[in-house]
Amino acid sequence: MTELSLRLAVSLAQIVAVMGIVMLTVMILTLAERKVLGWMQDRMGPMEVGPYGILQPIADGLKLFFKEDIVPAGANKAMFTLAPILAMVPAMIGFAVIPFGPNVTVNIFGITIKPFVISDINIGVLYILAFASIGAYGIILGGWSSNSKYSLLGGLRSAAQVISYELNVGLAIVGVLLLSGSLSLVTITQAQAGGFWHWFIWGARPDGFFPIHTQIFAFVVFVISAVAETNRVPFDLPEAESELVAGFFTEYSGMRFAFFFIAEYANMVLVSCVAASLFLGGWNAPYPGTILGYAGLEQLAWVENVAWFTLKVYMFLFLFFWLRATLPRLRYDQLMRFGWKVMLPIALANIVVTAITAYFFPR
Amino acid sequence: MTRMTLKAWIKTITFYDLLVGMKATMSHLLHYRPITLQYPHEKRTLPDNYRGMLALLRYDDGTEKCVGCDLCEAACPSRVIRVVSAEVPDQPTKRYAKEYYMDMTRCLFCGLCVDACPVDALGMTREFEWAVYDKRQLHLNKDQLLAIGDRSFSACEKPLELQHQNVAFFNVAFAHLPQKPS
Repeated sequence: MTELSLRLAVSLAQIVAVMGIVMLTVMILTLAERKVLGWMQDRMGPMEVGPYGILQPIADGLKLFFKEDIVPAGANKAMFTLAPILAMVPAMIGFAVIPFGPNVTVNIFGITIKPFVISDINIGVLYILAFASIGAYGIILGGWSSNSKYSLLGGLRSAAQVISYELNVGLAIVGVLLLSGSLSLVTITQAQAGGFWHWFIWGARPDGFFPIHTQIFAFVVFVISAVAETNRVPFDLPEAESELVAGFFTEYSGMRFAFFFIAEYANMVLVSCVAASLFLGGWNAPYPGTILGYAGLEQLAWVENVAWFTLKVYMFLFLFFWLRATLPRLRYDQLMRFGWKVMLPIALANIVVTAITAYFFPR
Repeated sequence: MTRMTLKAWIKTITFYDLLVGMKATMSHLLHYRPITLQYPHEKRTLPDNYRGMLALLRYDDGTEKCVGCDLCEAACPSRVIRVVSAEVPDQPTKRYAKEYYMDMTRCLFCGLCVDACPVDALGMTREFEWAVYDKRQLHLNKDQLLAIGDRSFSACEKPLELQHQNVAFFNVAFAHLPQKPS
C-alpha cells in the first residue's frame, strides 16, 4: 500500500512537472509566434506589455480568464461545454509517453522510476495517434454544437482534413517502427544513439555510416502531415479567417476559446516531440555519447541530452512559425489531392522500400 | 496530362518554390529592420503641407482675421462650416464673424475653405490626434477654433491695412473714404 501510494505520488509529481513545462512552452510559443512572424514581416510584434513585450502571454491569459463566457442561443450546451475539454485533454495526455531525457532509472524510497518519461508503455506511438484522433472529435463537436454555419463548415473541413492526414502520419512512422522493432518511444530513441548518422532520418545501421535505411521521405511526409493535423498554416482550412471568420471556434469566447487555443499549441509541441523522437534521435546528441559524459560528469549527462531534445523540438516549432510567415493557405481540393495523391503514395512506397531494405540488411 | 520537363519535376519534388519563399522570409528575419513605429511613443515626421485640424487665425494685434464673408461656407463640400456674419460694433464698414461653427465630424480635410478665404483667416494645423469619446466634442465654436489657431501658429501677420495700402479695399475703414451712414 505504501509502495502504491508512493508510486502514485511520484507519477503525480512527474505529471505536474510535465504539464507545467508544456503550459510554459505554450505561453512562450504564443509570444514567440507573434514575435517571429513580426520580425519576418518587418514588424516588431508585441512591444507594450513589459520590456519588448515579454509579458504579453500573461496579459493575454488574464484577458481570456476574465472575459465573458458566452454560449450562443440554440447551441447544444452539453456538447458546447464538452468540445474544448475534448480538444485539450488529448493534446495534453499525449505527453505521458514522450521521453524528454535519457532512459535512466532512479531509486528513491525503494522504488525504481524513470525520471524523464512519465510512462514508458510499449505502445507509445499508437497511444499518441489514438489520442490525436480523439482530439479531432473536440474540433468537430465544437463546430457542430455552436449552431453557426461558419463553425459547422470549419468542423466538417477539420474532420475531412484530420482523417486524411492522420493516415499519412500513421503510414509515415511505419518505416521507423519496422527499423526499431518497437512502438515505445524510449526504445525507438535508444535505437538512434551514437551520432546523427544513426538517426532514422539518415538511417545508417548501428555498425556503419551508409544511409541504407534512410527515412527522409517518411520524415518529410510526417512533418507536412503533422502541420496539417495541427490545423496550422498552410493547412489551416478549419479556421480559415478569410472564409470562415474563425472556423470551428467562431462562437467560443473566454476560457473555452483559451482551451482550444492551448490545445492547438500543445498539439504543435506534441507533434514536434514525436518528430524529434522518431526521426531526429530524440535526446541523443548528433555525436556519439555526451560531452559532459566524456568530461567525467556522468551524473550531469542528462542536462546535455535534455538540451538537445529541447533544441530539436524548438527547431520544429520554429519551422511551424516559418511556414506560417511564408505560405498562403491551400484550397480545399488542393489539400485533399495533396494528401491522398501525393503524400499517401510516398508513405506507402516508403514502407515497401524500408521493409525490403530492412529484410535484406537487418539492423 | 502535360509533360513535365526533368528540371520542373525536380523543382516540384524538392519544393523549390516553397524554399525560395522561405528564404525570403528568413532573410527578412536575419536582416531585421522594422518599418513600423511604436505610435504613441514615437511619431512620424509629418510632411510640410500636412492638412490637419482647421483653425481660425488672428493678426498680430490680436484681432480676428475673419471678415465673415461666408466664402468658406460656400466652398465647403461637406457643409462643415456655418458662419453668422455681423458688423463690427462702432465700425459700420467692417464685418466680422459673430458666430463661427465647424462640425468636424464631417470635415474631410480637403483644404478648400483655406483656399477660398480672401484674408487667409483659416489655417490647417499639424494636429491630427482628435479622437474623442463623444462626437459632440467635435462641434467647435469660434473660441475653440481661435484657441487651436493660437496654440498652433505662434507667428501672426500684421493687420491687412498695414501690409499693403491699396489691397484692402472692402473691409478696411480708411479715413478718406466716406463712412457708411449709421
